Amino acid sequence: MTDPLVVDAGRATDPMVDRSPAAIPITRRQVLQLGVAALPCLAGSTALYGWMSGLVNQPTAPVDPIVASYDPTAHRWAFVVDARACIGCGQCVVACKQENGVPFDEEHTRTWVERHAITEDGVLFTDAPDAGIHGFPPGSVAPGPDPKAVETTQFVPRLCMQCENSPCTAVCPVGATYRTADGVILVDEERCIGCGYCVVACPYGARYLVPAGARTPTGVAGVADKCTFCYHRITRGREPACVEICPVGARLCGDLNDRDSNVSTILRDEPTRVMKPQLGTIPRVHYLGLEGESV
Amino acid sequence: MLVRLSSHALVADPRVVLRVIRDEAVATPRSLRAWYGLLGILVLVGAIGAVRALFPGDKGVATTPTVEWGLLIVAYVFFAITTSGLCLASSLGTVFGIDRFRPLEKRHAILAVLCLVTAFGVIALDLHYPVRMVFGAALNPTLSSPMWWMGVFYGIYLCFLLTEVWSIFWHHERIHSIACLLSSAMAVIAPSTLGAVFGVLAARPYWSGVFTPILMVASALLAGTALLGVVFYVVARLHLAGFERAGVLAVPAIRSVLIIALVFVAALVAGQIIVGLTATDPGLSAATNALISGPLAAQFVGVRVIVGLVAPLAILLVPLTSGARGVLAAGGLALVGVFADRLTFVSAGQIAPATATSGVVSAPYASYTPSLVEVGILVGAIGFVALLYTLAERYLDLRESEVHIGFSLPLRVGGLWSPRTVADAPAEISPTITIDQVAGAPAATNDAPPDELPVEVPVPSAGEVAADEPSFDDAEPETEPVAATGDEPDIASTDALVEVADADGQPPGPASGEVGPVPVALDVAVAEPSVTPPAPAAPRDAPPSAEDAP
Repeated sequence: MTDPLVVDAGRATDPMVDRSPAAIPITRRQVLQLGVAALPCLAGSTALYGWMSGLVNQPTAPVDPIVASYDPTAHRWAFVVDARACIGCGQCVVACKQENGVPFDEEHTRTWVERHAITEDGVLFTDAPDAGIHGFPPGSVAPGPDPKAVETTQFVPRLCMQCENSPCTAVCPVGATYRTADGVILVDEERCIGCGYCVVACPYGARYLVPAGARTPTGVAGVADKCTFCYHRITRGREPACVEICPVGARLCGDLNDRDSNVSTILRDEPTRVMKPQLGTIPRVHYLGLEGESV
Repeated sequence: MLVRLSSHALVADPRVVLRVIRDEAVATPRSLRAWYGLLGILVLVGAIGAVRALFPGDKGVATTPTVEWGLLIVAYVFFAITTSGLCLASSLGTVFGIDRFRPLEKRHAILAVLCLVTAFGVIALDLHYPVRMVFGAALNPTLSSPMWWMGVFYGIYLCFLLTEVWSIFWHHERIHSIACLLSSAMAVIAPSTLGAVFGVLAARPYWSGVFTPILMVASALLAGTALLGVVFYVVARLHLAGFERAGVLAVPAIRSVLIIALVFVAALVAGQIIVGLTATDPGLSAATNALISGPLAAQFVGVRVIVGLVAPLAILLVPLTSGARGVLAAGGLALVGVFADRLTFVSAGQIAPATATSGVVSAPYASYTPSLVEVGILVGAIGFVALLYTLAERYLDLRESEVHIGFSLPLRVGGLWSPRTVADAPAEISPTITIDQVAGAPAATNDAPPDELPVEVPVPSAGEVAADEPSFDDAEPETEPVAATGDEPDIASTDALVEVADADGQPPGPASGEVGPVPVALDVAVAEPSVTPPAPAAPRDAPPSAEDAP
């Protein structure tokens, strides 16, 4: 049966014909033709590469939040949370969500408030109903299904630690998340591929992928997002939204290059702790009065 | 309109193409059409899921910031390690020249390419911006990211695999040897880098550590071997191309490797659990407890350990069930086990949340149930691989190639490796000799109990092949004249015939007196010189010992 798809060119059935590649003559004319054909291909691919480079190689930091007069190398931002002062009202969470267009649910949040309850046998229980947006209603219980006597309770505001040795920037395959010269870690929304690697790499659970419909400033869904210390505010000389709203002054943000700033003073004079120091991430968020071992 | 390809011209007239497709559809057996239909439905389901998953930020997946990596990552890892495992398993034949693994050559390469392409497709659907990944990885490489290296290594692996496929079908022996060696090396490097993607995460104690890449490579070997076991049982059962040696040699060989891989993985899993149970790290303890007695216990203990490790090992080790059907059952169960393994691995790493935002009490277990979109994409991916592989099995020549025996580059060790092509072989050397015999190892068929495969895979005459109901080839007459066939692979096998005849000065067949009674397929070739046999009549294709002969 002859296959109608194939028209035999005459050589295939002749066993005397050498069909090895070496036996097929290549003329100088064919080589020249190939060269001539390759030239526009080369030129085209070079142009395409240039166009793509311009497309992808955006400036490292988004231009928008940085004012022209701001010099990142002149600042070293740090954050202090006073766990003794926090009353768990959740206004910081609301302010952050409104300021940064973060969805009003508990899973997508740049900052949240946990309640740490340490029982008499030293076990730490944590809870954060609705990420602390509505505070902590009296009915909620901390010590779990088998309540034990609670010895200590405190509210612990959480946010991105802006680690100096940050796992998120190390693992991002395309360099979309990066650390600025002043120590804040940002995400380039035009470069992020939405793989979620930084989300699983963060030991502090501070990252999420923006869901569709979120009112982010740029409205880009599917990219990683996290606390930036309200970078668009601190670069303009203002305080982060959560710091500004806190009624008891439990949140402080300042410049370590300024020896007289509030955070410099506290870090110099008072005992502070960081979370998960054993991981060696060197967080820039320090806690005053944080209790319990497993944090 | 003609499209010239090598020494052939393909007709590109749509009417002719449509007519040929219609004729082909009519000629396709009903059982095969039903199989196509089933796979087509699976692919359609996957396509619907894929379209749904195209929208950034709203992909219809059930992942949350707490469990950011879900079923699509599991599916990607599964296909990515399976493609590596296919290469690892077949490297015993393609790189180390062990003759009984040679029937794996073409099928492993095609399956590996299909699995890898599927893995890339699944990960592209998981990403919110896959196109950015291609440009971003090329223009902004982040050398500190294992994910970047993983992409690079799997990309290189794909190139090597494609070269391997091209060289084996187009008969470039030296290129094929190099491509096999390089792709086998990449089959170790790529999954271990995939393991490193998880292993570098100090934030996830269950994933973290150097143990993860080793487990990933071991799982790769197990998955690849198990898949080949399933495929080769089907090849032998349905009498597909080259089924004689596939049944006699490849299935028992795969059984041996499958046992080794199962024991290897079982030891690693046991070690992982012991480490987890004795750990002081709260995250690792929580994950291990979740696996042993928590929400993942059914998946881990039930599916991963009992169904995926204990049952296949028992099937393969008990003499009563260790036949070819046992290899099929064990391979299938081991594949399920590897998938469950990757599922529990990805889940367990995220089950102890880093924060309390999603839970109420301390050490709450994060919960995740895949959405229909994710399940649909997984089902579609499996259907995609099966459909394309079925087409390859039907329309490509997957008989053993004469391209090479083992690795013929400077890696010759004394006289142990003596690579010869058939054309080079002197007439006085028995064409049935195997590398194993040269190396002093027992003959390949010693591993195949003679009473086993004739039961499972009776070697029929050519007439029986054509009349066999489940055969994919039953619509294609075996007596097709050479002059009428035109596709490349047939020409390739004709090459082998010509070369043998040239080398010996004799027509192909049992020229040497040392050869035992020849197999039936060879008899056909000798008895009917005007007929092209279905399998290449090259002497090495003969079952290699006299013990098999009647």
